[in-house]
Amino acid sequence: MNGFAALAPLLFLVGGAILVLLLGTRRNGGTNSVQAAVSIAAIAAAGFSAARLWGRAVRAFGGQLRFDEAALFMTFLFLLAAAMAVLLGMRYLVRHAMPRGEYYGLLLLAACGLVIMTATINLLIVFLGLEVFSVSAYALSGLNRRDDRSAEAAAKYFLIGSFASAFVIFGLALLFGTRGSLDVHQLALPETGGSSALALTGLALVVSGLAFKIALVPFHMYQPDVYEGAPTPVAAFFAAAPKAAGFLVLLRILVPHFQTGIRNEAIIEFLSAVAVATMILGNFAALRQRNLKRILAYSSIAHAGYMLIAVISGDPAGLLFYLANYLFMGVGAFAAVIALGGPGREILDLDEFAGVGRRYPWIGGIFTVLLLSMAGFPPTGGFLAKFYVFSTAVRAGHLGLAIVGVLTSLVSVYYYLRIVRIMFMKEPERELDVDTENPAVYLVLFLCLYAVLQLGLFPGNIITLIRQATASL
Amino acid sequence: MTTVAVVGLSIVLFVLGTIAFIVKRDLLTQFMAVEIMLNAANLAFLGLARGSGRLDAQVIVFFVMTVAAAEAAVGLAIVLHIYRRKKSIKTEDLDRLRG
Amino acid sequence: MTLALVFLIFGLLGAVMVSMNALLGPKKTNPVKEQPFECGSPPLQKGIPGFVIKFPLVVFLFVLFDIEVAFLFPWALIFREMKGPAFLILLAYAAVLAAGFVYAWRKGAFRWD
Repeated sequence: MNGFAALAPLLFLVGGAILVLLLGTRRNGGTNSVQAAVSIAAIAAAGFSAARLWGRAVRAFGGQLRFDEAALFMTFLFLLAAAMAVLLGMRYLVRHAMPRGEYYGLLLLAACGLVIMTATINLLIVFLGLEVFSVSAYALSGLNRRDDRSAEAAAKYFLIGSFASAFVIFGLALLFGTRGSLDVHQLALPETGGSSALALTGLALVVSGLAFKIALVPFHMYQPDVYEGAPTPVAAFFAAAPKAAGFLVLLRILVPHFQTGIRNEAIIEFLSAVAVATMILGNFAALRQRNLKRILAYSSIAHAGYMLIAVISGDPAGLLFYLANYLFMGVGAFAAVIALGGPGREILDLDEFAGVGRRYPWIGGIFTVLLLSMAGFPPTGGFLAKFYVFSTAVRAGHLGLAIVGVLTSLVSVYYYLRIVRIMFMKEPERELDVDTENPAVYLVLFLCLYAVLQLGLFPGNIITLIRQATASL
Repeated sequence: MTTVAVVGLSIVLFVLGTIAFIVKRDLLTQFMAVEIMLNAANLAFLGLARGSGRLDAQVIVFFVMTVAAAEAAVGLAIVLHIYRRKKSIKTEDLDRLRG
Repeated sequence: MTLALVFLIFGLLGAVMVSMNALLGPKKTNPVKEQPFECGSPPLQKGIPGFVIKFPLVVFLFVLFDIEVAFLFPWALIFREMKGPAFLILLAYAAVLAAGFVYAWRKGAFRWD
């Protein structure tokens, strides 16, 4: 029965997804709020069953499914992101006439794929989880069927995503052939035998495939298009959750480095170059964007660069803390975009935001705090997260990375504050048609505000959790 | 010797698929290129398992096939949707998202 | 010997089925029946008509359900060792597939017109 207990979080998610999908086919019975309630209930049940696994080092199915504390911590993040995306979607789906059962169902399945990805050390299972997520994600981003941009986002995401998946699986084939195992802990160790070229190629393919999914430069091109075209609640879910899963897998591959001291310098150098490129390109590309969703997309690329520093300097705690912060900042920023949208239409162009902050001070104010947190101002969580990551990088001897990180953060202050300035300093050009009857979105906004301040001012509790999580790696 | 030949063929297929994906400019052909890459991975798994005599690889191939089918179903539906809206599946006609 | 018996039994069975059809079946005919058989399309036509709009949907569903059957082969191999649990696992697997089928049905995916 141990196996069943370990499977419970996944079963709740899949069962909830199937139930919601079938509810969606009913002509009258399956109303929007019923479906949303079922989804939230499934997510909550998955969360409780995951919480019961904490501290029990659960292994099931011959060790293939492995809920260590790091995986559980990530699971909580994914479930939170999914729950917030459900809340954000409730009214948005009606406003944009999108299919509802499919939205909630695919969202639960996507979360399920991410949980699978993190709760294993076998790379084949990682691949399967990645695909469960990806296939749901392609459909999710094209869910707004009346909008050409949504269809385009889906097509681009699908093409690039499946291309990346092919990289991962071919890399796994090469690794399997040379190592005879897909155990994550054996991959990054330096070669001893003769077939080192094949194994190194395999590792490079797997890592670049993951970089595609995390959207690290130079594998990031699709991300802004997907964020812009996909329905905004979906973009909110994509902002943090899949990156978190990708980073945990990357961390698991690199953990033996930092624990045994046997280092494979080639990987570290490759990742360092990628981190520098990601931070610089993400931040500078965000400077010249006029579309708010694209700015947030480039900003999320830049944040992935900072998180990669934590991976390189062998700092799992810093990474998890950053991820937790970014989850709330990312989802919260997109929630603000939704809160300021009108019926059937969203305001996305920066100029249209003129004066919004004065007219809707609560939304504008929370959005401002979230943007300040992204830029890294105290006393928000974003500041602490960056502080931890950069200081650990300096201690681990990656001074250059930390300097690039700090400098590019300064650049980012410009485009974050530009949004704030337009919202509060400029006169409104014309009347905005904002739909203010949206309590679920306000709930998400306040939750994100609370989380960002809590993480910035009193991070003690969560750091205790993160310590336990990183000890289990 | 045969193992080397099979793995060599799979690498050639994978590279061809990659090149086709980059060179071609319409969604369906690019998707076919990805399918070739996935099948190259399958071939590599089987070829490499031949050498070691292990059964794991054969099971992995089942999973990869399923993944390819799921991707195909969702992906072709997306391509069809694009075609119905734009009457074209050329990538240069996907021009609504820029910046 | 056994082989001859097999051929005898199944040959007879086949002969009975064919002749039963001719003896008992209704002997009405219509123009469509008299045409030569060609799978799924009229035997004489100008050019190839476009696909029916429902066709791709059925194809996608076929691909999905078809590939899932592949997992029954490894399952059959280990059934002798696992017995009860294996059967439960298959039931759960089939239940998910059935849910997918019901979903497609309720969405009207099999309605041709």
